[in-house]
Amino acid sequence: MSSKATIYSFLFMGLAVTALLIVAPVAYAVSLSFYQMDSFVGAPRFVGLDNYARMLSQWVFWRALINGFIYSLGTIVFQVVLGIGFALVLNQVFPGRNIVRGLSILPYLLPTVVVVLTFKWMVDGSIGVLTKVIAALGLPPVQWFESPGAAMASVILVSVWMWTPFVTTTFLAALQTVPSSLYEAAKVDGTNAVQRFFHITLPMLKPILTVIVLLRAVWMFNKFDVIWLLTQGGPVGATEHLAILSYKQAFGQFDIGGGAAVATISFAILSVAVFIYFRLFPLDTE
Amino acid sequence: MSASLPRSRAGRISLYVAALVIAVYSAFPIYWMVVSSLRAPQALINSTSLVPGPFTLEYYRNLLELTDYPAQFANSLLVALVTVAVTMVFSVMIAYAVTRHRIRGKGLIVGAMLYAYMFPPLLIAIPLFSIFAKLGLGDTLTSVIVSHLTLTLPLGVWFLWGFFKSMPFELEEAAMVDGCTRLGAFLRVVLPLSLPGLITVAIFSFLLSWTDYTYALIMIGSDANKTVPVGLASMVGSFDLRWGEIMAGSTLIALPLFGAFALLSQYFIQGLGAGAVKG
Repeated sequence: MSSKATIYSFLFMGLAVTALLIVAPVAYAVSLSFYQMDSFVGAPRFVGLDNYARMLSQWVFWRALINGFIYSLGTIVFQVVLGIGFALVLNQVFPGRNIVRGLSILPYLLPTVVVVLTFKWMVDGSIGVLTKVIAALGLPPVQWFESPGAAMASVILVSVWMWTPFVTTTFLAALQTVPSSLYEAAKVDGTNAVQRFFHITLPMLKPILTVIVLLRAVWMFNKFDVIWLLTQGGPVGATEHLAILSYKQAFGQFDIGGGAAVATISFAILSVAVFIYFRLFPLDTE
Repeated sequence: MSASLPRSRAGRISLYVAALVIAVYSAFPIYWMVVSSLRAPQALINSTSLVPGPFTLEYYRNLLELTDYPAQFANSLLVALVTVAVTMVFSVMIAYAVTRHRIRGKGLIVGAMLYAYMFPPLLIAIPLFSIFAKLGLGDTLTSVIVSHLTLTLPLGVWFLWGFFKSMPFELEEAAMVDGCTRLGAFLRVVLPLSLPGLITVAIFSFLLSWTDYTYALIMIGSDANKTVPVGLASMVGSFDLRWGEIMAGSTLIALPLFGAFALLSQYFIQGLGAGAVKG
């Protein structure tokens, strides 16, 4: 086979796979949002923008949107602050550093199901280890999922535990790129560690921090499994965000058009974030 | 930069305390999961001791003999291995073509892959479910594999694209001058040199597929076709919460990942550093 033919057949394969696995499903999802369907095998009926009008006129939709923002914002703030803190500690020299670095990544490797089940086991109402520890400390029992505020806080807590290692690892890697001469010079000038962090480390790592926050924001906004497994969106919709609403519409009520419309709206919101990403970090295809 | 050991005693102690807090915070739930899966029933309910034991293998035995767990474990393994294999083949070809050819479509492919990396899961799951239902392939492992490919292919192309980009053209040109075809140069020169990148992609594809709950939940209805994450989660739905068995099942899902991490940690860290994994 000639050189050109090899490259072209690879490229053709690439385009075909991209079209089949990425472009086609998305186009199909968007088109489904213009149809009314009562089952996945039923005949679709074109209804124009009805699904959008119907979803947008329900307060359930707006609650889901706001919940999604609260969840993303809450999880991002804690992940980033904790992740940076952990990275700064793990960047110091101390015996057993590699072991602690390894341990700090582990939560990220666990399947969401395992994390959620272990959390539920630890906070089990009567025999969970955290329940017992809290009782032994003489504190009132924590109702992790009973009230709307507590459920959101629990969902955020579990998510932060799981995804902080992403921030820790990326930030730790980035810390290695700051030239130590900068710190030496600042030390000579009599600065303390806190000043050096805010005046050298943070400004130097601002670009990578922007990437981390953007990626995390998009992924947290899209999270489905952790919330579904912990609360199924409850109690009374307090942790129901767009992904859960979309799932419930499409697979719970068989309102496929409504579910597709919600998915398309999340897609549009997220596209804004992706647009900003590409603006800040243009693809270097050369 | 790597800061040196703090000189003052107070500084050193606070550093050790911080490191200990990080270690306990990250590892305690995992430790508790493993300990619980091995603790005899009475102690499982009563004990808050950090020392493991008294030991039992009862939960593992129940799980493997009385439930669908073994079949579901096999399903998960099959799905993950096929996903990895297909991902490797296609992402290598796509990434190679994109780095080695100057045409307009390539920006589109790389952009689409990065974009796809950020799609809401339901945006993919709803249409795929509908398509598979119409094809008569609903509730099959095939539908799960295809849905996983929508996660792993973007990952593979994106990561290998960065990898091939940094590999000099001269390598293949030299091989081709020596009489290799383009395909030969690719197979004999480029691929062996890309081994670290290929391993990273394989690991993370496996991780994504093995840990997935969302797509398997949507695509699969019958107990026999469930993957382990979905099967295990449905054990909690029953009124009789068997925490010992649930922790045993959790430990068994996590085990292959920890094993791989222990053996291949440099690839994990390299991949994480390159933002190779979604989640």
